[in-house]
Amino acid sequence: MGTTVTKEQNAEAAKAAADNLNSRFSDAGIVVEVLAHTSGLAYDFVRITCAPSQWRGVAKYLKNEIGVNYCGMVTGTHYPDGGAERGWEVAYHMNRWPIANVKAHTMTVLEGEKLKGKDIPVELEIFIPLPAGESPSVPSIQDIWVGADWNEKETWDLVGIDFEGHVNMHRVLNPHDSPVGFHPLQRQHKIRYHDYNEMYDDPQGFGRKPVDEGRVK
Amino acid sequence: MAEMWITMGPQHPMTHGLWTLRVKVDGETVTDTEAELGYIHRGVEKICEARDFTQITPYCDRLCYVSAMTWAHSYVMAAEDLLEAEVPERAEYIRLMAAEVQRLASHLMWLGAFGPDIGNLTLMTWCLRDREMFLDLLQELGGSRMHYNYPRIGGVKRDIPIGWAGRLKAKVKLFEHRIKEYEMLLDESTIWLVRLQGVGYATAEDQLDAGVTGPNIRAAGVNTDVRWTNPYSVYDQVDWEPAVEKPTSVKGADCYDRYRVRMEEMRQSCRMLLDAIDKVPGGANTHYQPGDEMILTKAPTRAPEGATGFSTYECTRGVSNFYIQGGGDGRGKNPYRLSIRSPMFLTIPYVAKTMIGYKIADIPAIMGSFDPCIGETDR
Repeated sequence: MGTTVTKEQNAEAAKAAADNLNSRFSDAGIVVEVLAHTSGLAYDFVRITCAPSQWRGVAKYLKNEIGVNYCGMVTGTHYPDGGAERGWEVAYHMNRWPIANVKAHTMTVLEGEKLKGKDIPVELEIFIPLPAGESPSVPSIQDIWVGADWNEKETWDLVGIDFEGHVNMHRVLNPHDSPVGFHPLQRQHKIRYHDYNEMYDDPQGFGRKPVDEGRVK
Repeated sequence: MAEMWITMGPQHPMTHGLWTLRVKVDGETVTDTEAELGYIHRGVEKICEARDFTQITPYCDRLCYVSAMTWAHSYVMAAEDLLEAEVPERAEYIRLMAAEVQRLASHLMWLGAFGPDIGNLTLMTWCLRDREMFLDLLQELGGSRMHYNYPRIGGVKRDIPIGWAGRLKAKVKLFEHRIKEYEMLLDESTIWLVRLQGVGYATAEDQLDAGVTGPNIRAAGVNTDVRWTNPYSVYDQVDWEPAVEKPTSVKGADCYDRYRVRMEEMRQSCRMLLDAIDKVPGGANTHYQPGDEMILTKAPTRAPEGATGFSTYECTRGVSNFYIQGGGDGRGKNPYRLSIRSPMFLTIPYVAKTMIGYKIADIPAIMGSFDPCIGETDR
């Protein structure tokens, strides 16, 4: 007990990161804001909204200047009704965890309250809206964080967002022989429950018919 | 000698689930690997788009049957962030205890499955015996043995039963002795040491860059733990410290370090449980009715378009994330998009690459020491 990072430290670190990003990128039209979660202990996080053409520059700055060392999650979303500017969106969730100066043969037990500057953990959320169209694409950051590699593979596989410059892109969760252009999390693919709620409309299944009805005795 | 590809899996004891590791070997030495996932992809993210927020919790239980409680807790935290629900402190304590009991059960399942990989079949019977103690505790809370559907948005389903606290204390105290038995069995076993030490090195920096978290990175000598850095629930109020292991080499942690760190983590979970049970607001031997404001607050059921919820959670195998967007079908009753990040989805490709240079016989030791779980990987 007593070694936890305090809320003040967290707020300070998030603000410092946001100020740093703002001073570098505010001219380019990139929006950086500090928001707070409502669950848990309501920690602050930094939300960045940028255009796909700016993304690699921002990503390199995050890695080298802010110290973001963990690319946790990449989420693609399809908005068929989102308008011309935001037909798709990619959301990145990243963290800065304190692991600096870990030495061999020693246990590095960092005490939260003693962490300073870039050692304080920060959470970042990056939104990249993409224009509507058949072929959404965003530059790949595979070479910046190793962890982005399979995250991008998964996002392409499930949502169909193309990552320009991604080497060795292939299906990871869908079967390898899935049809080209089939990405199940796009909104035109409905699951049955969207239109017909079997669970409530026909709980006993009397309305169901076998698929080979009429063809077998 | 000519190199050739060998396919290990999808049915292979090393895989601990359904996936394929394709190994390129030169004699006995691994020269290249490829991981193939997706054998049990169920499309949970798509299914959740057509479910109410409360209906999603059982699906999250089934992401990983070994640690159902932590996955449901992780989802519920993201939903609370989205719906802006309040959680009573008593419910937070109950959730913490449920998650830590689950962590013990999960680590025991890992140890029980890892033992036979290394050639120690006794370990499996011992671990499953002790895991059953903790599954019984969770069954008293959730009503079933593996999939509990216990955390609710805004609290928990029902209060801890009368007498649960006493049983928990007795079992945890017994288990603290059992950990010593395990260590006597393992740490003095030549086979165990020879097969684990000096195998499967991984440094903290490499692992974090590749997205590997949890006990695997703590074994490499740094106490990166979400419960400690960004505590959720009431982890900042109970007595514990992150388990961390001294890496044996400049090349990072080996399989033995990863085994040691999980044993230490079980000790810390015991310590946390014994402390939390005494600190439960309202007393551990009071039973509030389901729906009482001490254990459950009423949460909104709809989320507007544009609202987002996100949770970072220290699951038993590393950091799990849920990201939810509100404003789906049914005027906001469903999520528009729900995305799940399992720590193992990034760990398995990383581990596959760390095997290069080791022998074929080391593959089960390396893979098993990272605690793979395919249910949560494929989702």
